[in-house]
Amino acid sequence: MTQPTANCPNCGAKIVFRWSSSVQTVCEYCKSILVRTDVDLKKVGQVADLPPDSSPIQINAEGKYGNKSFVVVGRILYEYDQGGWNEWHVMMNDGTSAWLSDAQSEYALSLATKTPNLPAASQVHVGEQFIWNYQRYTVSVITPAHYRGVEGELPFQYWDKTAVTFVDLRAESRKFATLDYSDPEPALYLGEFVEFDDLKLRNLRSFEGW
Amino acid sequence: MFRKFYMLYGFLVLGTAAFGQYRGWSLDTVNQLKNVPKSVRDNPGSYRSVYSGYHHYTGGK
Amino acid sequence: MGAGTPPLPGPPKPQAKALNCPKCGAAVVLRSFGQAETVVCASCHCILDAKDPNLAILQQFEAITRDIKPLIPLGTRGRLRGTDYEVIGFQRRSTKVDGITYYWHEYVLFNPYKGIRYLSEYNGHWNDISICKQLPMDQGGAANYLGESYKHFQTCDAGTDFVLGEFPWQVRVGERAAVTDYVHPPRILSSEKLDKEVTWSIGEYMYGREVWECFKLPGSPPEPMGVFANQPSPVTINVSGIWAAFAAFAVFLLVLMAGFDMRAKKEPVLQETYQYNRTDAKSEASFVTDVFELGGGTSTVEVKTSSPVDNHWIYLNYALINQDTGQAWDFGREVSYYHGYDSDGSWSEGKRTDTVVIPSVPQGHYYLRIEPEADPSLPAIPYSVSVTRDVPVFGIYGIAFAALLLPALVISWRAYTFERSRWSESDHPPMELSSISTSSGDDE
Repeated sequence: MTQPTANCPNCGAKIVFRWSSSVQTVCEYCKSILVRTDVDLKKVGQVADLPPDSSPIQINAEGKYGNKSFVVVGRILYEYDQGGWNEWHVMMNDGTSAWLSDAQSEYALSLATKTPNLPAASQVHVGEQFIWNYQRYTVSVITPAHYRGVEGELPFQYWDKTAVTFVDLRAESRKFATLDYSDPEPALYLGEFVEFDDLKLRNLRSFEGW
Repeated sequence: MFRKFYMLYGFLVLGTAAFGQYRGWSLDTVNQLKNVPKSVRDNPGSYRSVYSGYHHYTGGK
Repeated sequence: MGAGTPPLPGPPKPQAKALNCPKCGAAVVLRSFGQAETVVCASCHCILDAKDPNLAILQQFEAITRDIKPLIPLGTRGRLRGTDYEVIGFQRRSTKVDGITYYWHEYVLFNPYKGIRYLSEYNGHWNDISICKQLPMDQGGAANYLGESYKHFQTCDAGTDFVLGEFPWQVRVGERAAVTDYVHPPRILSSEKLDKEVTWSIGEYMYGREVWECFKLPGSPPEPMGVFANQPSPVTINVSGIWAAFAAFAVFLLVLMAGFDMRAKKEPVLQETYQYNRTDAKSEASFVTDVFELGGGTSTVEVKTSSPVDNHWIYLNYALINQDTGQAWDFGREVSYYHGYDSDGSWSEGKRTDTVVIPSVPQGHYYLRIEPEADPSLPAIPYSVSVTRDVPVFGIYGIAFAALLLPALVISWRAYTFERSRWSESDHPPMELSSISTSSGDDE
């Protein structure tokens, strides 16, 4: 897997893409949001300083999911009326991209799943059931949230979103699903809750006194 | 854990019961005497019982 | 477009934040790296907004008691389930039942990687609690969580009386929540309803000494009082196992009984009938039987006496004497039988037969020396004596059975009283228990 490099169009710093299909990244030096076109990098926005948060995960942390290992390459930070959570973009060792969400020390790993005929936000209600991948999912929480910031590499363009709606669905045991209404086209992520210990995370953030 | 103690205890109880049956234990209390002289066969009255105060015997010394 | 860009300093390492209380200026330290929602100023008892860099005041409360000291001081670290946690918060809560107020304490534990746990303490009983990740199924009188069924123990109205340190929720002194506990010892499932939000948590019983070991606390933990809702029973687990073992032993005992009964030879060695005469007895009552042989090794010897007494008694002084060794077994047996008729009907007392079993008689040549006595009003009466060797003694099995039964009964009784003690504190106290317990059909 080649690691294309380029220079930040804003400040000239070296930008490295760890994932060849990354579409967007953030320049660590000037906090410019850069989008990759066929030819070069284009600055599309600026990230404000991210609020201090307590997640022990950081970019370049590594971990395991099942028999695959992964590296954390980027994140999207969301806020809602009761706090915030992180969606960490991770790169699996087979080249696929997944999302590790971290909300109040509850961790879950999910993958984007291409599914046709997803319902519109207005059509979804708590308690409603859907069947994807032969699994029955029930809507548990509908959260209006807003985007707070991005960091690192993302597989799509994502910045300056105002209000986004997330619909959480639960299935039997630890399976769960998320309907993401950030874009006009709804996106579906299927995954499961994972225990911190099972992720075997390394290179985590260190906390003073711990 | 207590179960193990009970199992051990139970086998002990059963073992003791079996041993008792084999050895001829009984629940009745019976007093034993030794050295009863052979002369008692000819003179039953001369027998000295443990229940000396209880019964009265007539007859010889 | 420089080729070499200087390396960036890494993101700042999260640190404990030291701030000042806006009311009284005392130092307030935030140790949970942004996970706390509220923090309490220990000096002036103000609840402050932990997410606000200026620590806006949310509530100021009056401590009802002077300085309630947590048993585990804030800032103490301990190892629970293989992870180190730091005590960052403490609260005292209470509920009033039947005019009596009950207090308990909760500690907020924090680990930057694993998040938040709780430790609760009531009357020396501790519980290790965490928020449920999956929603339990509420079934009214019971709840189901992760495949286990929990029985409803208690519903109460819990109030927060005193707080210290940091909390991951908006705590307020005086706030009341409806708390419902379900138990499946050693675990306890609780639902807490505050306003419209319901939070479920799962706890596991801990002994005071375990807590003291985890946090390396000095001295000894407070003595637990009574039996707590989800306290594991030291006996209950064994009860069914013990009875199963008892049943197996009882069967084994029956087999032994049958086996030895078949093995016993029950050999008759003497069967005679004699005549008692009062006049003869005056001179010399005693006589000896013929010699008989007890063969086949050491065994029991049964001597059976029977006589057709009718409102009389006869008494036989026996001696079983070994002709060769001079060893003797000395015993006396009474045969009496009385009967009559009175206002309650006919009655009878005694038996016309008496049996005695002599233990462990070695083989050899024996005779019986018999000296009969009788009721002075009895002039003459026949009596028969029969001697049988190697008879089984069923009384031994009776003792064995009782010996096997006793521990099972004791264990069952202890388990029963333990459970009664447990449930006497609940909303469903066992019947006939009125005194100190909580509601017995109260409105709750």
